[in-house]
Amino acid sequence: MADVKDLEGLVLKGEMTITEFACAKIDASLERMKERNPDMLWTMEIQKFMWDGFRDAHKNGKKLVFYGGSVPTELIAAFDCVGFYLDTIPFRLSTNPSLTAKYIDEAEKYVGASMCGLDKVELGAWLSGAYGMQPDMFIYNSVPCDSSRVAYPAMEKIIGVPTFSFDMPFRRDERGAEYLADQMEDLVAFMEEHTGHKLDWDKLKYYMENANRNFDLQKQCADLRKNKPCPLPGRLLVLNGTTNAVACYPIMGDLYQAELEAGQMMVDLGMGVCEDEKYRIAMLQNMIWGNAGIMDWMQKEYNAVAVMDAFGFQGDIMYEHMDDRRDCFKVMGKKMQNNPMIHGASGPSENHVKLVEHIFEQYSPNVSMFLGHVGCKHTWASAKMVTDMVQEKFGIPTLYVDLDAIDGRYKSGDEIKAQISEYFETVVMR
Amino acid sequence: MDYQKLFDSDISKKAAQAWRAQGKKALGLICCHVPEEIFYAADVLPVRMRATNCVDSSEAETWMSSFSCSFAKAILQYWLDGTYELDGIVASDGCMMASRIYDNAKYINAKGDGSKFIMQIGAPRLSNARTYPFYKAELTDLIEALENLTGNKITDEKLKAAVAKQNEARALVRQINELRKAENPVISGTDMLKLTLASTNMPVDEYIELLKAFLADANNRAPITGNRARIMVIGSALDNPEYLQVIEDKGGLVVADALCFGERGFGDALVVDDKDVLGSIAKYYLERLVCPRMMDKHIQMHDYVIKSVRDFNADGIIYQRMQNCECWGGENVLLEQRLKDEGIPLLTVEREEQMANAGQLAIRAEAFIEMIEKEV
Repeated sequence: MADVKDLEGLVLKGEMTITEFACAKIDASLERMKERNPDMLWTMEIQKFMWDGFRDAHKNGKKLVFYGGSVPTELIAAFDCVGFYLDTIPFRLSTNPSLTAKYIDEAEKYVGASMCGLDKVELGAWLSGAYGMQPDMFIYNSVPCDSSRVAYPAMEKIIGVPTFSFDMPFRRDERGAEYLADQMEDLVAFMEEHTGHKLDWDKLKYYMENANRNFDLQKQCADLRKNKPCPLPGRLLVLNGTTNAVACYPIMGDLYQAELEAGQMMVDLGMGVCEDEKYRIAMLQNMIWGNAGIMDWMQKEYNAVAVMDAFGFQGDIMYEHMDDRRDCFKVMGKKMQNNPMIHGASGPSENHVKLVEHIFEQYSPNVSMFLGHVGCKHTWASAKMVTDMVQEKFGIPTLYVDLDAIDGRYKSGDEIKAQISEYFETVVMR
Repeated sequence: MDYQKLFDSDISKKAAQAWRAQGKKALGLICCHVPEEIFYAADVLPVRMRATNCVDSSEAETWMSSFSCSFAKAILQYWLDGTYELDGIVASDGCMMASRIYDNAKYINAKGDGSKFIMQIGAPRLSNARTYPFYKAELTDLIEALENLTGNKITDEKLKAAVAKQNEARALVRQINELRKAENPVISGTDMLKLTLASTNMPVDEYIELLKAFLADANNRAPITGNRARIMVIGSALDNPEYLQVIEDKGGLVVADALCFGERGFGDALVVDDKDVLGSIAKYYLERLVCPRMMDKHIQMHDYVIKSVRDFNADGIIYQRMQNCECWGGENVLLEQRLKDEGIPLLTVEREEQMANAGQLAIRAEAFIEMIEKEV
């Protein structure tokens, strides 16, 4: 197996697609993990399921549906299609800065540099012909942000396949739920037209049941984090958020089941991920996808564990009346509004404030960090309201660090660590 | 009638003060999807908020961070520092930055005396049979809130009267805009922008009278000669005529624009269906081509830009995009190639709300003008 640098080189030369790259890299990680850390294989298996599934969709006789923003993955799966969440590309490539840089530069030939790095990578990789996949359909939503609202319609025109777009209501209320349920009916009609199949309600029910199981398990995992010491590492928060793309598949539940068992075992043993947990960190913005190792470093260096974040936390919206089509479609809409990155960020700021307040009430953090992805300008524009609340209500000052969660050139991992160190040493530990 | 007030683009409190002195309400609007007609129907003065001449938005920056669009920050700054004296703000979720002005203003109001009326309506980003009723319902909420605020009942008749008045202003602005098609127009791009910005400084009745006076005098105005190239300007919210002045000082006469504070902010006539007056307003505002926030209007906007270049005989386009304005930040993905195919030269420039880069703009504009000017 070639090493990552060689693979990167092939992608940079256009001799390997990003899909092949992701699959090869995941396979290599799995091999390494089998040797060094077989107990944690489940954290990579889900990645393999996702990327192999994307790559082999057509080979397996399935239609491939690109999607952006939050869309009802249950419906895509019920039509026996493979959904490919475009944000998984920048997430996956973020640990390979030379690749993200290439696609960001490609996108910046056309878009402003301030556009979110996620959208720039998705757009730039497509413009570079690097996907190695041609979708059969494209579905996108008007969330999470202005960057995606520009990138997705542009990609719609460039990709040129049948496309469906959602309009997400800004507020979370009954009118919005009805509005989204109406659009769900439109999506069903779209899918029926372009797959040639009628919606099979039993199949949809199967995926809704999976989604319920997965979110129930996710909530149980989240609840485990309330324990002191915290039994689960911060790194898993990053993973939980990004695996949302497969939230209606059994493998997602398998991941949470394994996470739950590992966490429960730690609780039973009275152990935490830090040897001597001193600090419990609440992360108030997106995750540092390109530098998830910082989570491990904080645990080791400062006995500080990220107990919860305002990105991946899902809430607990469940399907209750699975034979009531309207009710299910309304729940689907509500779940879309509560997806990671959507819930706290792309609606009114008070949602973000409430989410963070909930985290502080439930998970007893004593350190607050706003490691803000610079592409999330709208979240930055809520930051003072959020952190003022944390200071006033919980008496905790917040560290602000600007970073680009995708583009490693913006700030290196060492720079980020230096800022975090200063905060610990001059504020937290004094 | 002296119409010079049309060319005073500084933000003025006078109209709002006079309106409020009569015991009536004046509210700030953010931004293009809050229909002014509804406010006039409630006898409320709508003041579309802008940030012209704001040179220091540091107080707002503490709320919105340095990563926010400087236009949005500057509006919040003016709201915080009292440049505006209004009874409140009504915002739509035009873009995320517009939404955050609302969110911060609401939060600050709640922390203070809570005396301001702060409201947001949702405006869909698609224009179709699904989205019109949703937007109409949001506008119904706005009507109810304004009725509660003012005690004035908003009827269909009042809405129709307000639409008629706005249509009159729209027609007059369009008529003036048409003057720019002339080889030697009697109004510069800078003055045209001042003229459209002035609408935010006064009630529509006064504005209409001033526009009529301008048109009556148009034939007496000296035609502008000696320009080296005719330019169309497109892009982010531009409420600073000085920006266009820099381009025009270099010989590039701005003859057309696709700017939300320009003629596009007025648009075509709103045609009312008597059976569904509010529905007509909702449909009009979602269909109007004014901001790329509408996800399904990019191609139409590009068509409009190309048609305008032809209609106004422009030699090239300056596309100015505000730093951190994502809505206008991505047009080149599709537009650049289309313009190449059409043989229309394009200059893309970044800018901030504050005129901090006038020298750089001047150099780039001059080089562009040199490139596209036609030899006589």
